[in-house]
Amino acid sequence: MDIDRKNARSGRADELYDVAVIGGGVVGCAVLRELSRYGLRLLLLERESDLAEGATKGNSGVIHAGFNVPPGTLKARANIAGLDLVYPLAHDLGVPHRKTGKLVVAFDDGERRRLEELMAQGVRNGTPDLAIIDEAEIRRLEPEARGRWALYSPHSGIISPYELTIALAECAHQNGARVVLEAGVTAVDVLPSGGFRLLTPRGAFLSRWVINSAGLFSDEVASLAGIDSYRVHPWRGEYLVTDKEAASALRTPVYPVPPRDDSFLGVHITPTLEGNILLGPSSEYVPDKRDAASTRPVMDRLKTEAFGLVPALRRFPFIHAYSGLRPKLTGPNGGPKLADFVIEESPLRPRWISLLGIESPGLTAAPAIARMVADMIGAKEDLIARPDFNPERPPVPHFAHLADAERARLAASDPHWGEMICRCEHVTRAEVLAALRNPFGARSLDAIKRRTRCGMGRCQGGFCTPRLVDLLEDEGVPVDRITKRGGASVLFQGRIKP
Amino acid sequence: MTDRLTCILCPVGCELEAERTGDGLEVRGNQCEKGIGFAEEEILHPMRNLATSVPLRGTASQMVSVRLSGPVPRDMIFPILAEIAGLRPEPPIRRGRVLIPNVLGTGADVIATHTVI
Amino acid sequence: MSARRPLPPERHDVVVIGGGPAGLAAAIGARRAGASRVLVLERDRRPGGILNQCVHDGFGLFLYRETISGPEYAERLTEDADRAGVRFQTGAMVLDLAADRTLCVNSRSGYSLLRADAVILAMGCRERTREMIGIPGTRPAGVFTAGSAQNLVNLQNIRIGASAVILGSGDIGLIMARRLTFEGTRVRGVFEVLPWPSGLERNVRQCLLDFGIPLELSSTVIEVRGRDRVSSVVVAKVDASLHPIPGTEHEVPCDALLLSVGLIPENELSKRAGIELSPLTGGALVDETLMTSVPGIFSCGNVLHIHDVADWASFEGLAAGKAAAEFAAGRAPSTSGEKVRLTPGSNVHYCLPQAVRLGTSGFELSFRVTAPVRDAWVEVRGCASGKPHFRKKFPRLVPSELQKITVDPPAAEDMEVSCHD
Repeated sequence: MDIDRKNARSGRADELYDVAVIGGGVVGCAVLRELSRYGLRLLLLERESDLAEGATKGNSGVIHAGFNVPPGTLKARANIAGLDLVYPLAHDLGVPHRKTGKLVVAFDDGERRRLEELMAQGVRNGTPDLAIIDEAEIRRLEPEARGRWALYSPHSGIISPYELTIALAECAHQNGARVVLEAGVTAVDVLPSGGFRLLTPRGAFLSRWVINSAGLFSDEVASLAGIDSYRVHPWRGEYLVTDKEAASALRTPVYPVPPRDDSFLGVHITPTLEGNILLGPSSEYVPDKRDAASTRPVMDRLKTEAFGLVPALRRFPFIHAYSGLRPKLTGPNGGPKLADFVIEESPLRPRWISLLGIESPGLTAAPAIARMVADMIGAKEDLIARPDFNPERPPVPHFAHLADAERARLAASDPHWGEMICRCEHVTRAEVLAALRNPFGARSLDAIKRRTRCGMGRCQGGFCTPRLVDLLEDEGVPVDRITKRGGASVLFQGRIKP
Repeated sequence: MTDRLTCILCPVGCELEAERTGDGLEVRGNQCEKGIGFAEEEILHPMRNLATSVPLRGTASQMVSVRLSGPVPRDMIFPILAEIAGLRPEPPIRRGRVLIPNVLGTGADVIATHTVI
Repeated sequence: MSARRPLPPERHDVVVIGGGPAGLAAAIGARRAGASRVLVLERDRRPGGILNQCVHDGFGLFLYRETISGPEYAERLTEDADRAGVRFQTGAMVLDLAADRTLCVNSRSGYSLLRADAVILAMGCRERTREMIGIPGTRPAGVFTAGSAQNLVNLQNIRIGASAVILGSGDIGLIMARRLTFEGTRVRGVFEVLPWPSGLERNVRQCLLDFGIPLELSSTVIEVRGRDRVSSVVVAKVDASLHPIPGTEHEVPCDALLLSVGLIPENELSKRAGIELSPLTGGALVDETLMTSVPGIFSCGNVLHIHDVADWASFEGLAAGKAAAEFAAGRAPSTSGEKVRLTPGSNVHYCLPQAVRLGTSGFELSFRVTAPVRDAWVEVRGCASGKPHFRKKFPRLVPSELQKITVDPPAAEDMEVSCHD
């Protein structure tokens, strides 16, 4: 038949899996890691040249405590369940995180009533330990934050979403899962036997189950399987990033009262573990799923709104701007004002599980969604736990965070720890090499950046880029193939005098 | 056609105006004689030095920087660069070593500007 | 001078952080003034700092009385330092500095702590980025700072694009316009936000006019376009407040954007040591001996204030080195001596030193004007008395040229340095 002819042409059999996850964002990688507990042949197909290239890298990195989601929704259930799972998970995976708490600040009586509504909503959802505090208490917690009252959520926290994603994938990999990058699914054959054949530039893969967690492109992937009932719309959120010096001004995320239409959370101020502070996101519909530009009016607005909440931020320069694209099921003109997560096995295609519209609180919800997926598979077949499943992944050593004695030990043991590649973030050659030697073959500058922080400092790669060039060449990436984020994002046109 | 240029021979920095007249040049704005000579040279037969770098023999990524030992007519810049482009000197190279003597008959040498061991 | 040489002993008389034109000269100055153990810590593989990538000539007119290229200047200065008995450690980066003059240093030879009787800050500067000036648009490959591009082109033989736009007419941008043109990259234009060029006029002639590269003043880049790689930039004219004027936008196709929009003294270590910085220069507040607010820590070169002539950074280094050696030997002028303050006034962007010991005569004052001016008087006037202590006439002053004058009358009160037509 068709399949046999194709096999004959390629000369090898298509590889066969039990579960194929399409999409290497935080949700896809969480699913992969959860399923790697069991004796399943697992595959993850990611279209880009690294994991976390979609919405996962373009958000605030907040662990939400579940008070800003409508009760009774899948979002709320997944948020609350995820809240319990994500801190121990980050600990097991060696991913830095911090339970910072969060302040939602109000300035007038109307906003104060909104705080009470949020609190009631949180209580209904199961958010623990919420409290409304007054101005004095706000100042005690965060001297630089403004507000007359605030909703204080002590269990909210911060984490790097892409560090978590990479750690999830590495853990799954060490438990036998396979990850293939630059493998966007271009066609899906639904097999008579009930499985699926996924065509990608890296070959064809057969799988009994498919988990569609392709984020912004999950509707297009669904269509490939003949499932045409979904539309995913890109809603862009712009961010500004301050210099690390701003860490002295704020440690707790500060949000304004969310706007009534509830389609986004308002312009937040979110500290990060490294010390930079994020301002954002905005929210606007854009017609192009890949339009992650920053715009002047929004950049100005982010500053104006943020300085109203934490005036001290004016003192610090901004070192970066970025945008994320939310995969929303709500369109620009209509559709449900507040769409819920779609986590379902397709009625049309058995064993095809759709994960759509996973916007905020998607990061927090990811481990819970992964459990839901496992349960859905487990309802139809026996999942046998692997006796050798290792839930842990060792933390990645960062020279910049080590104490003097440990630094001295490493530098003495291996001269690569003594060579600084990134002067702003103090990243050594040893760390860059370790990052490049990742199990998935991700080799772009952004892949290095996400794993080491090289290029994330105030000089934004000015110092490290020339140093990375010969390092990359030693590691098998010639000059004309160095990319910012894979594909056509090539940095150089080769040598001047070859 | 009027050229405007600032004389750099002394800190006064006269702002000169130079207009071509037939074969010559009419210079205004100078506060001393030297300004005329400066403008004449700069407008009528400008001289330039140039610098670049070339790969060492057998490598595409390790370079030695070079310059000319003295200025040359400006319209010789690109022909000289083309001559230099083919150089692949072999270490050891001492700073100042002549890599191309009297390049294209200009009287200037192409010299290495640092030492490569 | 190999990076693999075992670490020198722990304690030094003078440690210089940075082995560029200022740091090398500072080390020489310290040795000449009698300091016995003088160590230069340089994070690159060889000394020279930024000079190593400045292959063009124009250096050394004052220090060596001939014009030579950056690499030659660097090598000669390194040889001078070597002959003077300066010790070097290359590939060594200082990660921390304390007010008590202990340093944490990381290198391929190991991680260690050093102690010094005097420290000289000569770390140089870094470049202002696109993100710091907030240019909206996408984030494609192909956006470089000019200095970073210079490193890639000159030291690594890399072609950074086929057609480039350069934002900023500072000397680095101008030099790179010529450099890229030499190597076959088409430079579509240099755009400058101010109404006058930021770099030397000689460079405007020899880097732009020579090649027909347009210089657009009162202009800036307001957007970067291109998904994976730069495909164009949008430029616009700006008004007197430097805001883009609606309706003047036009798109310039290119595949590379180079930013030459300012240099920032790299004072991260200085902040860690608690050294007070000037918001006007971005560098340390210093007295007439170039000592910072922390006793025994001195500053010179681009980390103190951005220079345009490397020779002068070296002269400043020599002075700092001498002062550091005297401090290390216990011969420093009394630090409890009262100091008068110098502040910038009309049309003066900054002046340095910002404090001078009472009674000091013949100190060197550095300054830059804010806007170009001709036939101007520079005055050093007492703040309280209103009396002009010192005046000098200048036929021509531009912001791109750092000025140094020797102020003769002894400092007697807080003074203001101003510039008048």
